[in-house]
Amino acid sequence: MSDKRKRDKSKVSVFFANEKVKSAETFVLPVLFGIFIMLLWQTGVLHRLLNTDTFTLPLPGRILAIMSDNRDKIWMNTMATVLVALAGLISGSLIGYLIAIFAALNRKWGASGLGIVAACNAIPIVALAPVMTNLTKDVSHDANTRSMAAKIIVVSIVSIANMSFNAYRGLTELKPFSEDLMASYAAPKAVTLLKLRMPNSIPYVFTALRVAVPSSVISALVSEYFAEYIIGVGRQIRENIVLAQYPSAWAYIVSACLIGILLYSILMIIEGIVLKRHVKA
Amino acid sequence: MKMRRTKLKWISTCCALVLTSAVLAGCGSSAATGTTSAAATTAAATAATAAASTEASASDSTAGETTAAAAGEAIIVKAASEGKVGNWGLGNEYEIQALLQKYGQPTTYLSQAFDMDGFDDDSITLASAMTYNELGLVKNSYDGGYAYGDTVGTIDMNVEGVAMLEDNLFCTSEFAESNPNTVKAFLYATMKGWEYACEHPEEAAEIVFNNGSSVSADHQAYMAAEVKKLVETDMSGNAVTDIGNMDDAAMQQTLDLAKKYIQLDDSVAKDALGALTLDDIRDASYLTEALKSTDGNFGTLEKTEVSVQLKWLPQAQFMGYYVALDKGFYSDVGLTVNIVPGGGDISETTAVNSGTVDFGVTWVSNLISANAGGMDLLEVAQIYQRSGLVLVYKLANFS
Repeated sequence: MSDKRKRDKSKVSVFFANEKVKSAETFVLPVLFGIFIMLLWQTGVLHRLLNTDTFTLPLPGRILAIMSDNRDKIWMNTMATVLVALAGLISGSLIGYLIAIFAALNRKWGASGLGIVAACNAIPIVALAPVMTNLTKDVSHDANTRSMAAKIIVVSIVSIANMSFNAYRGLTELKPFSEDLMASYAAPKAVTLLKLRMPNSIPYVFTALRVAVPSSVISALVSEYFAEYIIGVGRQIRENIVLAQYPSAWAYIVSACLIGILLYSILMIIEGIVLKRHVKA
Repeated sequence: MKMRRTKLKWISTCCALVLTSAVLAGCGSSAATGTTSAAATTAAATAATAAASTEASASDSTAGETTAAAAGEAIIVKAASEGKVGNWGLGNEYEIQALLQKYGQPTTYLSQAFDMDGFDDDSITLASAMTYNELGLVKNSYDGGYAYGDTVGTIDMNVEGVAMLEDNLFCTSEFAESNPNTVKAFLYATMKGWEYACEHPEEAAEIVFNNGSSVSADHQAYMAAEVKKLVETDMSGNAVTDIGNMDDAAMQQTLDLAKKYIQLDDSVAKDALGALTLDDIRDASYLTEALKSTDGNFGTLEKTEVSVQLKWLPQAQFMGYYVALDKGFYSDVGLTVNIVPGGGDISETTAVNSGTVDFGVTWVSNLISANAGGMDLLEVAQIYQRSGLVLVYKLANFS
């Protein structure tokens, strides 16, 4: 009897030691936890715990019903937000990387240059967004276009600093002697950059993006508050909360969460593919 | 080497300077309503002329009104076709949308910031303005003003027949039912405050200014004079004697326009909105009884400490409450009142509904959408008898 139990126990521990099971665990456990929270939410236990009512925190069923009733409208607003977040993320990260290259090649002013970038990064989004709305008034006669430009600039500024700091480290913190080796080959700066520094910076770029992706979504949502043209998930959340339409506001909050999760997952997949190749090479 | 370093230092300093000045320039133009300062000179005079001209146009013959309306139509059509009509949104847009639809225009508008810079730089040619606030900043030359004087024209929602009622006083029906004497006493003292404020607008402005004003003393004085008109004149320009009166016709017009222009994504709330009647949003009995009283004695008060949530920052828009507090009208009836300023994204309906505060000041349309969304709010007095919203335009842009 005790023997059998021992065997069972060992079977169980073997089962959990399995690599595939382990990787499934990291996926299944959070999902189970999520389902658990949703159950508490739908049954009202969560409301009692948080001392709130179904008015400010509507039941998930109601939120989903609103989402399915307004698919087209939510989709249109979601796409506007995603476009701003992605365009800002890409342009900001590119500019950030260029600044990092510049700083890595000119170490003397590199550090102080990054200091200015850090100062720009310290400006809060709520201050930046109305300023950019004012500065982009002459960009286009079409309110949607110039609002888009203002929002993208805000997201870019937020993304720049993050990328330039991380990429600067990736471009400068090289393996010992590798820089000397390149020097001994009499490699020009450009070759050192292309063959040594840039490949070395790839993992750092992904570290930067892991932070930049969620923050670009947040800055896109906030900058929509101040834009001239009324569109986007963030703006809809604000409109609905001010009008005390909490179930509709929650429908847009869920959309905002989905945007963040989706973009982050896409980044994780790309990172997996690129870093695998990077290690092999 | 040393030369090179100093050169670099200079270049980087210049870069930093350019960056900073660019950001500051943007900041400067976005900074709006100024605070306390002098420049009182022409303010009062301008306010007086503005008041006189508004009164004159209100009492004009119908012929005058029709020509004004025709001119208004051309302006609205032009601005709408260029996509340059502005409003703040967030529940303030329904009158503008009703007006746009009246002249067959699409009901989209630009999101206007809480300053008049968009109007100033012509990115919005037909901008929303409250007669007592933004319009004063546009016309007058005191601190924070844009000094356009008589070079701007306005389109009045009351004249156009799309007016909706704005600042009211409300609580939850539950609160009213369980604290009837408190509600009556609060209404009695508040109406006394409004009456006094309308009789002495200059003193009222000073009281508000001393209570933590968000705008300059000059602007506060202008605002008090304009708010007085909204409290004492109805939508068709007739004088109103009983302050706080809930006029059924005006309420019904507000409800009808609200049902037409409030867009709700939530189908449950949408159905509730369609089914709302006046009895779901207001109860005149508390005010009637409060005004019957001559001494302000309503028996035992169920609650002696109450709070009222304003819709916006402390300004003469809410002078009646500050006057009632300052003159001791509240303490005379045995109430201790806490006035809670609003601003930005404060949702006064939510604050009252959750019990954080007892009373609130909101626009009737906001109360309607809140009740459609499942709240049980009850208007107990209607302070503003006509719409204070106008569309303002530069005459030069439409000549």
